[in-house]
Amino acid sequence: MRTRTEKFHLWEYLVFFAVTAAVFCLCVCVGSVNIPLGEIGAVLKNAFLGQAQTNALASSILIPVRIPRVLCVALTGAALSVAGTAMQGLLKNPLADGSTLGVSSGAALGAVIAIAFGVVFPQIPFGATTVMAILFAFLSLMIILGLAYKLDYSLSTNTIILIGVIYSMFVSSAMNIVITFATDKIQSITFWTMGSLQGTGYTDAALLGVTLLLCGGLIFFHARELNAFAVGEDNARHIGVNVRRTKLVILITVSILIGVCVSIGGTIGFVGLVTPHMVRMLVGPNHKRLLPAAMFGGAVFLMLADLIARTLLNPRELSIGVVTSLVGAVVFVFIFSQSRKR
Amino acid sequence: MKHKKILAVLLTAAMTLGLLTGCGSSAGSTPDTEGSQTDSQGTDTPSDPGDEDDTAKEEGDGGAITFTDMTGREITLTEPATRIVALTPSDCEILYALGAGDTLVGRGEYCDYPAEVAEVPSVQSGADTNIEQIIALEPQVLLMSTMAQTEEQIEQLENAGVHVVVSDAKDIEGVYTAIEMIGTLMAKEEEAETLIADMESTFAELTEKAAGDGTKTIYFEVSPLEYGLWAAGANTFMDEVATMLGLTNCFADVDGWGEISEEQVLERNPDYIVTITMSYDQELSPEEEIISRAGWENVTAVKNRAILNLVNNELSRPGPRLAEGAQMLYDFIYGEETEAGDSAANGETAE
Repeated sequence: MRTRTEKFHLWEYLVFFAVTAAVFCLCVCVGSVNIPLGEIGAVLKNAFLGQAQTNALASSILIPVRIPRVLCVALTGAALSVAGTAMQGLLKNPLADGSTLGVSSGAALGAVIAIAFGVVFPQIPFGATTVMAILFAFLSLMIILGLAYKLDYSLSTNTIILIGVIYSMFVSSAMNIVITFATDKIQSITFWTMGSLQGTGYTDAALLGVTLLLCGGLIFFHARELNAFAVGEDNARHIGVNVRRTKLVILITVSILIGVCVSIGGTIGFVGLVTPHMVRMLVGPNHKRLLPAAMFGGAVFLMLADLIARTLLNPRELSIGVVTSLVGAVVFVFIFSQSRKR
Repeated sequence: MKHKKILAVLLTAAMTLGLLTGCGSSAGSTPDTEGSQTDSQGTDTPSDPGDEDDTAKEEGDGGAITFTDMTGREITLTEPATRIVALTPSDCEILYALGAGDTLVGRGEYCDYPAEVAEVPSVQSGADTNIEQIIALEPQVLLMSTMAQTEEQIEQLENAGVHVVVSDAKDIEGVYTAIEMIGTLMAKEEEAETLIADMESTFAELTEKAAGDGTKTIYFEVSPLEYGLWAAGANTFMDEVATMLGLTNCFADVDGWGEISEEQVLERNPDYIVTITMSYDQELSPEEEIISRAGWENVTAVKNRAILNLVNNELSRPGPRLAEGAQMLYDFIYGEETEAGDSAANGETAE
């Protein structure tokens, strides 16, 4: 390993941002319906200048459908990836992720319950499914942590992962029970198990953006503590990190990130698991560098996965979760075997 | 050590994948009802030795019924069936339409039409078909489709004295065959013939009256945008009925039901939209939800408010109500000619 600097330099930010922006442009230009570049330019120019659109079809595809979707995909990828990085650092476990710990499936269960039993919160601006997804992400985390505390006060990583796996299985059977009670809503429920970002709009993007800014920022301020955790929990305690408080803060922010992502895109696996590993090969294990890089990396990974989902079987669409799992599993095994060889 | 770790990762990856696909297939099987042609040939076993005695008896009392089910298996009943379990909603509907609803002793859990069917004991169907539940009801005949049942399950049922009869309609012609077959096994051939003739005459009448020349396009939405758009493509009942009425299905290049891209709907710009989805939003009906979608305001069907919501599976179920569904679609599209001022009229004024 070469020696690496502590900080994520400005030029590195610019490079990562440029790559992400390039992929964003690619994803806006390529889609199920082929729109020539010139048209896209014209539509964007008219939209920015507030002029009347000359091409009704191109503008009604680009402005309300394709751009918000790509935006949501990018933000979801970034959020899931940051959440995954934080968890892997915190639990010092390469397999930690919202999906492996069961937080994602817990959030999905909340949404499914909201649909199946027609839960409504009239006073809250977001849909009941969103609120229930975030609530259940919290709840899942509390159950996992509560059990872990009960069984093993020091919250050792093995215990958490083990309980996470058991909890995922529990949730998946609970989901099946709910489905049995609400067979007529089975179609809507499919969404929460497969994931889809079709039909997402600017409000979803705004919600994701704000969440990412707040929670991602909070996690970034704990980068030093995460570095200490990555060496070892005892190490963290010895150098003066408030272990329990940091754990709590990180895990709660992570569950907010995951809850919001699930409520908008359903459960999308492997993003939070794979991208931190890929990015770590580029920028090294220091969380001060890893977290921002993972944010961009996750956005790029999910945008490309979504591009495949949107265009591969045109006019059909693939479920984005299927693409991330297929690509992610292969890439993960490859990365893992590579890093073991060294 | 190294290898063990790699193995562990592989196993975890495989398990995670398994979980994902497992969830997907159990839930995903619903939208795919028509597309999936499970190995119908697999059940194509010759009738078991026990049946040969029955065939021999047939000559004696004359009450025996021999017929071929829709997977080509020959089945012999010693007398018309009086105790039936039907797993698919369409078979239940056919039984009721033939006036034989009282012979049902069990029904699949998704059977919901006509309303009386709810009083019949429900058994698990589809992927969770429970053989014990079915045997406990002591039916003579089990009506089911080709989906999800294994050969072992069918053998178990046959061994318990239950005749397994498969109805597996893929098109309207297939529905006639199913009605005829069920009519035969219930000794209600006449009712079956009348029912088929009724359906045929409705379809013939509609085809004749329908003025469409295939230039108007229609989009069948089977899952709303919120959960990923699904459309009914070629080889579906909706497609067949649309063609009958002189319309072109926008997504005829998709086979069966499939998830499609929102952009494609905007580009293909359908003249009519039929949605069979249920409202997932307490405030908006499915029609209103489609109208409210960003970017859809330039779609002809949305501009003209030419959107129909079929809530009771009229066009998605291989049963007698397909004729009703075709009639509803006809009224929606050409309704102006007969009665002015209904919702479909707006769609016509655009012409």
